Amino acid sequence: MPETVSPGLKDALVAQIGSLRAFAVSLCGDRERADDLVQETLYKAWNNLSSFQEGTNLKAWLFTILRNTYFSERRKKKREVEDVDGAYAAKLSSSPEQHGHMDMRDFEEALSELPDDQREALVLVGAAGFSYEEAAEISGCAVGTIKSRVNRARRCIAESLNLDADEHDPADLVGAESELRLEAPNPPAR
Amino acid sequence: MTEDDKDKAQRRMAVDASKSTQRPDDGIVEPAGKPDASMSPALQAHIGRQVRAVFDSVAEESVPEHLLRLLKDLDDSGDK
Repeated sequence: MPETVSPGLKDALVAQIGSLRAFAVSLCGDRERADDLVQETLYKAWNNLSSFQEGTNLKAWLFTILRNTYFSERRKKKREVEDVDGAYAAKLSSSPEQHGHMDMRDFEEALSELPDDQREALVLVGAAGFSYEEAAEISGCAVGTIKSRVNRARRCIAESLNLDADEHDPADLVGAESELRLEAPNPPAR
Repeated sequence: MTEDDKDKAQRRMAVDASKSTQRPDDGIVEPAGKPDASMSPALQAHIGRQVRAVFDSVAEESVPEHLLRLLKDLDDSGDK
């Protein structure tokens, strides 16, 4: 138990809770379990604050604790793993009100179908704002491994959403094009 | 070639062999530091936006009260 935790460090912890929750949901696909994971992460972080060097990357430190907690629990419950995977898809599909947007639902499903390591890499680099180097440190693997996981994750998603621009019927790309058009400097008025 | 040279050459070969087998996961080798050449930058950006949207939709929710309370309780118990 830390003797004193500076208010600045406590605020910094609080500021990361949102990202930690989002990461936890992306790992386990279950919002209740995600909040349990975040709670455990905060608890562990608090009790190990003495081992955290202020000025280094708090966010990466917290993400590391969370993913290690998740994967070690998963290893313990290895026999339940298949059920857990099944639960992932079920939970996602049972919350249509979360995202009314159909594209988003399709995308979430494609994301949930990725192997754990690819989904983790894509989320760390593509959404949580980590560099490849930071993501490699968090996941405990080589930078090249993270890069290849991210690339494969993108390819898997593109394939399952029929977004593969190279070898597809142009009709398949309608969805992608309409999304990409949003980036044009003058989007058509609706 | 001296004994020493042979030794060096052998070590070099060993290093090269370990490099060529040290492929990430299933053998797909990516050019280090380069974007994925097999996918258009536009498509990569599109997927990136979607992942961020999914992530942010949770990250931007208000933090559940019990998580904030946990930190407060831990903080209070440290003062004792």
